This record gives sequence, structure tokens and C-alpha cells, in this order.
Amino acid sequence: MINIQDMRDTARDLLAKNEVRAVIGYRRGSSGMNAEPVVITDAAQADELVWDPTCFHNLALYLVEDRKFLAHTRAKPGLPIAIVAKGCDARAIVVLMQEHYFKREEVYIIGMSCEGTGVLDERKLASQGIQASNAAFDGDDYVFTTAQGEKRIAAREVMADRCLECRIPYPREHNVVLGEDKTGRVLAEPFAALKRFEERDAAERWIYWERQFDRCIRCFACRSVCPMCFCDECVVDSISFPVTAQTTAEEKANRVRWIERSAVRSENITYHMTRAMHLAGRCVDCNECERVCPVNIPLRLLNNKMEREAREQFGYEPGASIGAPALVASFLDNDPEKFIR
Amino acid sequence: MSEQQAEVTTDYEPRIVAFLCKWCSSAGSDLAGVSRIQYPSNATPITVPCSGSVSPMYILSALKKGADGVLVSGCHIGDCHYIEGNYLARRKIHLVKELLGFVGVEQDRFRMSWVSAAEGAKYSQVIKDFVEDLRPLGPQTKLKADRS
Amino acid sequence: MTKKRTGVFVCHCGNNIAATVDVKKVAEVMGTEEGVAYSQDYVYMCSDPGQNAVIQSIKDNNLDSVVISCCSPNLHEKTFRDNAKRAGLNSFTCEIANIREQCAWVHKDKERATEKAIKISRSAVRRAGRDQALEPIAVPVTRKVLVIGGGIAGIQAALDIANAGLQVILVEKQATIGGHMLQLSETFPTLDCSQCILSPKMVDVSRHPNITLLTYSEVKEVSGSVGNFRVNILKKPTYVDPELCKICDDCANVCPVVVPNEFDLGLTARRAIHIPFAQAIPASYTLDESACLGLNPIRCGKCKDVCEVGAINYDMRPQTLIEDVGAIVVATGYDLYGQEHMNELGGGQIDDVLDGLQFERLCSASGATKGHVLRPSDRTVPKDVVFIQCVGSRDPANHCAYCSKICCMYTAKHASLYKHHVPDGRAYVFYIDIRSGGKGYEEFVQRIMEDDEAIYLRGRVSKLYRKGGKVRVLGTDTLTGQNVEIDADMVVLALAMEPSKGTEEIAKTLKIGRDKDGFLAEAHPKLKPVESVTAGIFLAGCAQGPKDIPETVAQAGAAASKVIGLLSQPTLSHAPTVARVRNSHCTGCEMCVSACPYNAISLENGKALVNEVLCEGCGSCSATCLRAAIEVKNATPLQIHEMIEACLA
Repeated sequence: MINIQDMRDTARDLLAKNEVRAVIGYRRGSSGMNAEPVVITDAAQADELVWDPTCFHNLALYLVEDRKFLAHTRAKPGLPIAIVAKGCDARAIVVLMQEHYFKREEVYIIGMSCEGTGVLDERKLASQGIQASNAAFDGDDYVFTTAQGEKRIAAREVMADRCLECRIPYPREHNVVLGEDKTGRVLAEPFAALKRFEERDAAERWIYWERQFDRCIRCFACRSVCPMCFCDECVVDSISFPVTAQTTAEEKANRVRWIERSAVRSENITYHMTRAMHLAGRCVDCNECERVCPVNIPLRLLNNKMEREAREQFGYEPGASIGAPALVASFLDNDPEKFIR
Repeated sequence: MSEQQAEVTTDYEPRIVAFLCKWCSSAGSDLAGVSRIQYPSNATPITVPCSGSVSPMYILSALKKGADGVLVSGCHIGDCHYIEGNYLARRKIHLVKELLGFVGVEQDRFRMSWVSAAEGAKYSQVIKDFVEDLRPLGPQTKLKADRS
Repeated sequence: MTKKRTGVFVCHCGNNIAATVDVKKVAEVMGTEEGVAYSQDYVYMCSDPGQNAVIQSIKDNNLDSVVISCCSPNLHEKTFRDNAKRAGLNSFTCEIANIREQCAWVHKDKERATEKAIKISRSAVRRAGRDQALEPIAVPVTRKVLVIGGGIAGIQAALDIANAGLQVILVEKQATIGGHMLQLSETFPTLDCSQCILSPKMVDVSRHPNITLLTYSEVKEVSGSVGNFRVNILKKPTYVDPELCKICDDCANVCPVVVPNEFDLGLTARRAIHIPFAQAIPASYTLDESACLGLNPIRCGKCKDVCEVGAINYDMRPQTLIEDVGAIVVATGYDLYGQEHMNELGGGQIDDVLDGLQFERLCSASGATKGHVLRPSDRTVPKDVVFIQCVGSRDPANHCAYCSKICCMYTAKHASLYKHHVPDGRAYVFYIDIRSGGKGYEEFVQRIMEDDEAIYLRGRVSKLYRKGGKVRVLGTDTLTGQNVEIDADMVVLALAMEPSKGTEEIAKTLKIGRDKDGFLAEAHPKLKPVESVTAGIFLAGCAQGPKDIPETVAQAGAAASKVIGLLSQPTLSHAPTVARVRNSHCTGCEMCVSACPYNAISLENGKALVNEVLCEGCGSCSATCLRAAIEVKNATPLQIHEMIEACLA
């Protein structure tokens, strides 16, 4: 089991020895049980770092933010930046490196093995009627601090589905790693939720999705929280058009409006399908999009569908290797083509 | 299918957008013309350089603009004028097709075919089949934008 | 942006279009389209008056783009683009709406066909409305050509190109040019002596003022692109100065090292210092470094001592030459599929079982036995010789799936040569079927069967083994259904052809593809048979696939003419409909780089950069890019977006 102190010592050392300019990690949230992301730049802050079942956030997002900030201020990165990364987060970092968003040597990965457990699903916890002020790992259990005292629950009962189904709960790409590699310890069949959903027929599926997509308010929280959505302009939302000194008036006038901004079904569905397509082979199933969705659209199903197609049809695993080509920029001679007439 | 077809007696004519690669499928369609092979006029062709240049956005966009069916047609594997554009298309379009089916859009709304420059008869058959398969489905409303 | 002024011209094509499409209505509706300033119909748009009417309308109406609704762009796109240019427009702002092949000719219902013709025309109007004025890209070229491989294909290509006035560098791996053709004794179907027809060409190469011959050399690196390649050639040391060497043979006479002679496929031996054969080009000895005792006067030095002209220099070092060329011809040839793969036929371990090339050396006047057919084991005249066709070919389960194409013919030739040498001998030929397509080929085979009385047995040989002083051949004659046993004095295997050793490496160096069998891949199986997939690199001879001498010469000539055509102008013209990067959107993810079939995109300062000379405008990059940061000029997503709208309006 991971000793939190080891993580803090690592962070402190890196900052004290001036090996990194900052450490992206988690700290105690300002209210309630959940941890929140933090960027520390001083060795003295290392003891603020925490590691518990509420470390949901995919911190790779903050690497993207950091890169954007540097670009904006035209600053040179200088020292690398360190990041606390779970297995899924580390895969996201690999995808970003595959896409040359930053170089390997610019990031110091403090890998955290989920050791066969994973993060909490708040909704599952709520359905158990537990209101906690703190959560901690303890072997295969989570230990919650509640008003009624300490409460111990088997992790798998309240763990996020994506963690139950996780195939690689270990950050293979890392500079240093804490915890054991428990890859192979399957808590639930991969894609189990997807499989259950696919038992419905097409008409039922449509009725289901119609209801989901109708709800979307196009707040773009899913996009904002996604480390893969790092484009300066989103092809489906031309409002964020990146105007530079070189941008011509004609370019500004001629952007393609693939999707209208109004939150109506046709536009919503095209937005979400485009997003699913753009995440194919890139989504690492961190499920932050679904977690932050204010109207509870089950986005993981869409992303999982693409992930399983990539895996089963093309043998493609997102975030497996920095040198690998992107899913849709490569092919195999024997890619399936039964669907083609 | 043909029996089922006979029962449908509406005036409904499916509207198809057909993305044809310039070198094989558009040429194959030309051959159908030269050979005077008749087929329904439901499909409006858009010639693109290569099936590999068909972005998923084109397909979604056509459905959103009210197409009842979308066809992407390219060179047979190994015959791509651009060597491997159709390999890339095959993978990308597989994903689009799966995704459409996943959200409950009828599988028959989208079709991909390989039609070589020598396959005029095949092109006409692809269109005939597509129109016949689309007819019983009625107008596509799922992805169509609501604006009149 | 100023309002577009597009003109639409709808052609009746006599009655071809007008019979099923209401062309007047199409023209009328197009006239009401946004951005259309003028529209008309005419009975034959492509006729002289039709084209003049277009020019006049462009001028009268101050049009900035035109759409011609007519037949397939394959027929008249060029006509109308040239015509638009005559009227002062940029030719790339002229679009064709194909309302004949893709509409009028395939529909009967006039109303619906007219409706579709309107959609097609409207869609073309949208495309034209967004067309950019483009000029063909001019690429300056280096008027120099690299030919890789000095067999008959490379020799022919080099001569044809050099005769057209271009500089040629001919690179050959071996110490002499000539390749496998030089090893042949006679050639089918005319039985003229191979060396007699090849040697003069070799001499032409060596004397040609436009050809630089680099033997004993290999191409190591290639960079750049069509018109401007830079190649790195390694010239291995021969330790003999060809300028000084008098080919007196004194050095070989004193050389103490004896090794098998590869030119005679091991049927004879040679010294470490040797000349492949007497008429080698360049006419010079070569000191085989791997066989020599050590290039060291202390250890041996006999050849250096005996050389009167002082041509031998042990201090010669490998040289790297850098050359700029505009085009490359790859003619790296073939090797025979190794006998060692043929376990069922002895795997090369049975005496007097030869491959086709060894038999050529037995028959050749300059060969191992000075042209007498003697079997290698005891130098006696073989009286029963079995020739086996399709050895390793046409056997997808175990060996090569393809037909090696020349074996039927050269086996017939072998049987004939044998019978001419040994009139009382018996020649048996095992075959699957006879493929003798070619001028005079079928007649040749028939002559060998009938006049030379070669015994043709339709069937495969199952086993070979040594029995007594003979090779026992077990086979089947499928025509009689009988098993056949022959005690042969000699067996000749018509082994499959495979790409020469090093083909894989050269393909990688040149970044050109190979087919499933390892031969170099042509750009298009029908329409671009001598072009590789990389612009400016052409293929000739057996490196591209099995073929005989006439075909090889024809292909070499074709490759040469492509090269001459390519380099006949001071600059190359390349279609300008290439990819363009929008730097503001590019994140440098390299997806386009890996999607591009032409290696035309690289990353420069974190942004994609298109090499416009290499780009063919396929648009794979554009469809792959998640950020709409790359698009093909005049086939942009914006244009397609508007065309989709036009089709569904």
C-alpha cells in the first residue's frame, strides 16, 4: 500500500533540488470530502499533498493548462513540471506526448498505482447513505470518516465503474512510481456497462440517447475538463476561433459552421458524436466528462464504444506508447471491411 | 426486401448524398452513364479526391442537413490512386458507422462501397439497393436539424 | 469579400443531355442562385461557337468563375479550363458539373433528372464560388539521373536517357555491369548469343560521354524529392586502378587464394584478385577484400609485386560520393529462389542437380566447360537430363505464389540447347502447363517438342535422390496417370525468380513500396506500371516483377522516356491543388504526418509543413486532422460543406 509520506517526500525533494518548477497534485478540498487539484512550487507545500479515493481529477488537464499558459506568456518552460498521475492519467499524458503536445523530458511523472482499487463514485456512496468528511485507502477497502465515526466499505461496492473495469490500473509511463503493479486483477469485466447497454435494440437505443441529448445544455464542461480537448479552436464551436496576426479576414468569414450553437437535439447529437469520433483512440477512460456533466449525460458509454471498437477491431490501445501513430492516422492491411459493399 | 418494397407505396423519395472518389467510384459512375445503365436519381454525387478525404464531419453534416442516406464510395483496397487513402477511410468510416448505429440511427442510413472505374454496373446496383433499403425507413429525422 | 460573379453554362450535348434533362430550366434556376451573375444553355458547349460564347460571356459579364454543366470532367474539364484561361480567368476557377454520365444518361424521368441536374450544378456553383485562383507549382530540376543496377534494364535505361542528352550516373553493386543476362548462354526464342548482344551495349555505356559508371558501388542514402534528389553513394575499394590495369592476368596467376567463382555460380573457381569475366566493364581486375590474405605486403603482396604497371594499391579506401539528381531509375533485378528452400528436391545437396543459371554457364562458350555440356560431378556427357519447371513458383502453400513467367521459355531453350549439344541424349521436361505468350514463343516451344523431340511430361516431381551414379527422379505424368521414374544423369531446376538480395534495403532507402512478394511496387498496376509510388522514382526490369529480356528492355525504355519527359523542361509543373496548413489551428500532433501516403508533411517549428512538390492532394491529412488545420486547396471542408447543403436544398 502506498505511504502518502513517500509521495510528499518525492515532491519535496524534486522542488528542493530544483529538478522541477512545480508539482501538480491533489490537496484536501476546501469543503467536504473531495480532494482538489493543486500546483505547488515550494518544497514547504509538499505536506499539503494528499492521496485518497477522491483523487478523481485527471491532472493531465493541468499540464495542458500549463502549456497554454506558457504559450500565452511566451515563457520558456525551463525546468520540467512534475505531475501526480494514476494509471489512466499517465495514459492521457502518453497520448498528449504521442501528439507532441509536450516532450517526455518536459514532464516528471510521479506515478501512483491504483493497486487494484481506484477512485470513488460519489453517486454510489450517496446511494449507500454515507456522508463523509474524509476518505482513505486501506487495502481493498475505503475508510470514511463520518459524523457517526469511521466507516469501512469494500472499495468495489462504491468504486467508479471505470475503475472496476480498468485493465491497466498502473502508470506504466513514469519517472518514479509508488505502489505495486496489480495489472491483471480484474474487478469487473471490461466494457461491462457498455455490453449491458448494447443488449438494447436500435430503436430502444435511440429513445435512450434522444432523452440524453435533449438534455444537453451545451455548457461544454465535458470539453473543458478533457485533457484531449486541447485545441485552440473546437471544430464544432467556431466562437473560439483563434485569431492571430496572420489570420485573414477571409479566414474569419469562412470558418465552417458544422454545428450551430443552439442547444437543440440535432446540434447536440452532432456535437457529442463529433467529440466521440475525435476521442477515438485518444480517450483513456478517465471519465471526467461524465463526472462533471451537470445534466448527467452518460458520456462514458459513447467513449467506451469507440475504445472497444479500437481495441477489438484494430488492436489499438490508447496511451500505450509514445511512439505509436494515432488510431485514425494509421491502418492495418486486415482492418475489418465486412461492412463495405 | 423486394416484397416488402412492393408494399410501400408512398411518394417518399429518399435523398442520398454520395461521396465518390474521383479516380474509381466517380469514374465507375461515369461508366454506368456511358453504358446507359439506369438507376434511381435519388443520389446526388459529390466528387472528392479520395475516400480517405471524407471527414466524419461530412457524413454527420449531410445527415444533419436532412440526407436520408449517405454513401461513401472509393477504390478497392490495393487500387487507391493515392496508395493508401482508402485504408485510412476504411478505419475511420468503420468508426462512424458503428457510432451511428450505437446511438440508434438505422444501420441502412449509411453505406460504404468499393466501386472501381470498371464497375459501372456495380455502382448502379449500389444505388438501387441503397434506395430500396432506405424507402421503408422513411425520412431521416433523428439527426436532421429542425429548422425549416 | 466582394460578391462572386459566377457564370453557369448548361450544355444540351445535342440530345444527349437535353432528352432527359430540361436544360433550359437548369440554366434558369442557376440564374437565380446566389453568386451567379449569368447563365445560359447551348446545344454544344464544347464546340467552337460554344466555347467562344463562354469567352464572350465571361468578358461581357465580368465573370470571376464559371461552371459548365455538361459531360464528365474526364472528357472536357481541360477543354473548359483552357477556354476559361483564354478569357482571362484562372483555369482553377472553372468547375464541371457532370450532368450527362452521372445524370442524363442514367435516368429516364425528366422531372427528376432535371431536379438532380440542378442539384449537381448548384453544388458545382458552390464549389466554384470558393475556388482559389491557383498556378501550377514550378519546381526547378536537376537534369541528371541516377540509375541503380547495371543489368540489362539499367544499361538500357541509362543509354536511352544519356542519348537524350541527360547526364546519367549508373551505379552497380558488382565489379562489372551486365547482370544476369551476361551469364546466359543463348536467349529464347531466337537463340542468339546473350553476350554477343549485350557486350556492345556495355561498351556503349563505358564510352558514353553522358554516363558516369560507378561499379562496386552502392546507394546508401537518398533525400529530397522529385526533380531534386540528393544521393549518397558508397564506392567500395577494388584495390586496382582501372585506368592503369592492363588485364594481363599476371596478378591472378600468382594469387595463392582460390575461391568459388560467383559468375559461374560456383562451377569454377577464381583467385582473390580476379576479373569476373574477360569482357568485363570496366575492364579491370578487382581484389576481393574478403578473400585476400590481408592487403598487406608483409603477409602476401604477390599481386602487387608482379603488377608491372603498378595498378594495385592496398591503401585504397571506400569513398562516399554525393550526387544531386532529378530522377532515379531502380533496376536492381532478381535472384533465383534458393535451392536450399526446395527440401523436396534435395535442398541443393544433390550432385548434378543444377539451377537454370548454372545450366546456362554449362552451355556458355565462356563458361565452366567451355560450352560442352558435361555434368559437374564427373565431367561426363549426360545422356538423360530432366528439366523441372515451376520449382518454387505457383506454390502459395510452401514457396512463391506467383508465376515466374520466363521458366517455360527458358526450360524449352535449355532442352533445345542440350539436344543440340548431345543429339543422342534424352531431355525430359516436367511442367504444370506451358505459358508461351509472346512473339514467336509458342512456335519455339512446339519446335522443341516436335523437332528436338524433348519429352514433355505434364506433372510435378515429388522427389529427387541420388542412386548409384544417377539422380533418381520420381514424378507423375498426369496425362497418362502413370507414375514416372527416371534415372537422370543431370537435373535442371527452373527455380522461381525473386527480388534480388538487397531489394528490401533499397526500397527502404528510396522510401518506395514493395508488393506482397517483395518486388518493388508500381504506382498503379495498369496506368503507372513504371512509376514507383514516389514521384521521380521509376522502376525497370525484374525488380518490379518477373519478366523476360524483351519486356525488361521495353520497361527500361518506358522508364527512360518517363525520366526524359520529366526532365525535359527546366522546371517541373505540379498540380497546385495541394494541402495547405492553417498554422493558427495546427497543434503539431503529427496525425497528418503519419496519414500522408507520400511523406509530404513534416513538422517545422511545431507546425505541419507541406512539401508541395510531394503532395498529391489526396486529402487524407484533412480528413484525419481533428482541428481542421489542414485542407486541400479547392477541395476544402468549407467547399464540401456548402456542396452538401446544395445537394440537399
